Amino acid sequence: MPDYAIALTNVSKSYRLWGRGSQFATLKSALLKRDLALTPETSVEAVRDVSFAVDRGEAFGIIGRNGSGKSTLLKLISGILKPTTGSVRVNGRVAALIELGAGFHPEITGRENIYINGIMLGLSRKEIDARFDQIVAFSGIPDFIDQPVKTYSSGMYVRLGFAVAVHVDPDVLLIDEVLSVGDEEFAAKCVAKIQEMKYRGVTLVFVTHQLDQVRNLCDRALWLDHGEPETIGDPVRVVDAYLQAVSSTQTVPPRAATDETKKLETPRDDPNEEERWGSGEVVLSRVALVDNRGDELVALGPGTPVAIEMDITVRVPQDDFVFGIGIYHADGTCVYGTNTDLEGLMPERLESNGRVRFIMPALDLVAGTYRIDAAIHTRNGRAFDYRRGAIRFVAGSRVHDIGVYRPKHQWKFEGGIAIKEIDLEQRNVPIEVAEAMREARKPKTFNHRDTENTEKSQ
Amino acid sequence: MESLRTLYRYRQLIAALTARDLKARYRGSILGFFWSLANPLLLLTVYTVVFTFFFPSNVVHPYPLFLFSGILPWTFFSAAVLESTTSISSNAGLIKKVMFPAEALPLVTVASHLVHFALAMPILLIATVGFALHGDITLSATMLLVPFLMILQTLFVAGIAMTVASASVLFRDLRDILTNLMQLGFFVTPILYLIDRVASRPFRALLRLNPMTPFVVSYQDVLFFGHLPGIADTLLMLAYAFVSVAMGITVFGRLRDTLAEAI
Repeated sequence: MPDYAIALTNVSKSYRLWGRGSQFATLKSALLKRDLALTPETSVEAVRDVSFAVDRGEAFGIIGRNGSGKSTLLKLISGILKPTTGSVRVNGRVAALIELGAGFHPEITGRENIYINGIMLGLSRKEIDARFDQIVAFSGIPDFIDQPVKTYSSGMYVRLGFAVAVHVDPDVLLIDEVLSVGDEEFAAKCVAKIQEMKYRGVTLVFVTHQLDQVRNLCDRALWLDHGEPETIGDPVRVVDAYLQAVSSTQTVPPRAATDETKKLETPRDDPNEEERWGSGEVVLSRVALVDNRGDELVALGPGTPVAIEMDITVRVPQDDFVFGIGIYHADGTCVYGTNTDLEGLMPERLESNGRVRFIMPALDLVAGTYRIDAAIHTRNGRAFDYRRGAIRFVAGSRVHDIGVYRPKHQWKFEGGIAIKEIDLEQRNVPIEVAEAMREARKPKTFNHRDTENTEKSQ
Repeated sequence: MESLRTLYRYRQLIAALTARDLKARYRGSILGFFWSLANPLLLLTVYTVVFTFFFPSNVVHPYPLFLFSGILPWTFFSAAVLESTTSISSNAGLIKKVMFPAEALPLVTVASHLVHFALAMPILLIATVGFALHGDITLSATMLLVPFLMILQTLFVAGIAMTVASASVLFRDLRDILTNLMQLGFFVTPILYLIDRVASRPFRALLRLNPMTPFVVSYQDVLFFGHLPGIADTLLMLAYAFVSVAMGITVFGRLRDTLAEAI
């Protein structure tokens, strides 16, 4: 089995323009990007020379303006459309959420539609029987399941459509702008379900205008512009580059800033190197992890007070600015992220250079390598300076616990439970030896202290 | 070959969609599924009354039964073919938004009309028994051949349906052309009359060219006249069924990839 889930090689798609009077709904995109009156060609290229591969289990986002060919690309991946040139290869069962409930028949009941829809998506009757209760529970409309779907509200309609589609157990799930459906509660449920599928190793491809979803859910993103790939890579960077482009078509950026952009936008692939981008009106001239005396740290022990320090250099004063930080494990897991906007610190004026400190009384991380992202951006997310991996540091710990977060804790034992605390330094020593060494020392009294981890010996 | 494999894979889908079509058709009506039986029954009653009391016909006796055994297969053919012209465009959502095997759509149309046709058969049988008890006709074992005729005709209809379903997406005029052709076809098929009694030689030649002629004549043979279908007719039916299926698969295969963008 190849290790990619989706591979596109030099894929182009042109829509032919048929004779007068022919209606062509999928020309929407083509019409938007060209003035047909000026170009009398008989075909319109919606997607041009796109190549990329998506790994198994990866979440891949596709963003771009209206008519940039995003939906066409998704339809090419799903097999609904065939590429004019190039090849599209997909491994595994594909489910496409392009329009929820597209196959529902209004006259028959929700129950019957679940079966028909499931079969359309490639399940057998038996497989649907097995999933039926889950689907109904997820949709949250059990009372209406035996009513014809024509009596459903549009919200109920999409709930049922989404419920069926995500229970198909696809290997590859294609999602076109459908996560915004339904009410808040259901939208959150959808996102949670998608996240769960991602953890189960389902390959996801999103087309969306909700850039937050791309930043939060995707491992990589593609920015498609006029049918051509503009940038591909880290979702935060791609989204940002896109936002820069969108805003620069609206307002002309200061000349100095444009030059800065060029300089800053050099993507690198080495995960150990810092990635940096932004428009550069304001830059983070220094980012450091410091202890409470102001000394820079590269390693961190538990219980140490630390701060993230950012020196701000202002080239163009700003009224709209947000400082943000993110702490990531080396495997990409976000440990924590926040910004001044999220915490209700409203920007008033950024006139001249300054320093920002993000102070933590303790940063109790599980042992491992971490990186810190620091950024200054506008409130809608356009970066002045985004420094991904501005700091890398190692967190050390005597306890080999796992995870990303170590809550303050203690163990307490009552009743007939005998527990002895051993010296963790001796952990790798055979247990009898450790016992002997302990006997030689004065036995410790068993007391509990905050933040100190006391372990049970079998 | 590829097409046939796809079909096999989607047999559950075709079955489910056919059931959906039939259910949806009668959902909300009080008599429901009974209409499938009632429609041909009422039609037969009207024919019997009209051609017995108002316009006694001397073509063959009993004329209503003769008419009915020809009209049922014709209705199956014309209704399935006409409806298949819109089978794809009326399900544009499926073709454009879901990975959906487009070939299933005309086949679902054919299958649901086949069900109607099959449901009308018991009415015809009961009527035949009734006329036989009355002494107008003798029951014959050739009726048992009806399922084989239905299989051949279904293949023939399915091939035509696939062809016109895909072609009419690109050529919308096809539906109107076919509607008119079907009305003409009804009279150029020996349903109301016997082909042997047609005096005009050119018209008889025209009847012979009509691919529906051997089917209708064969149904009349086994249901009404109680003898086996002619050898020539049988060979023609086999040939038409084969050619039609081959054409359906070829044309559909050619047009399949353009359907999603042409709808």
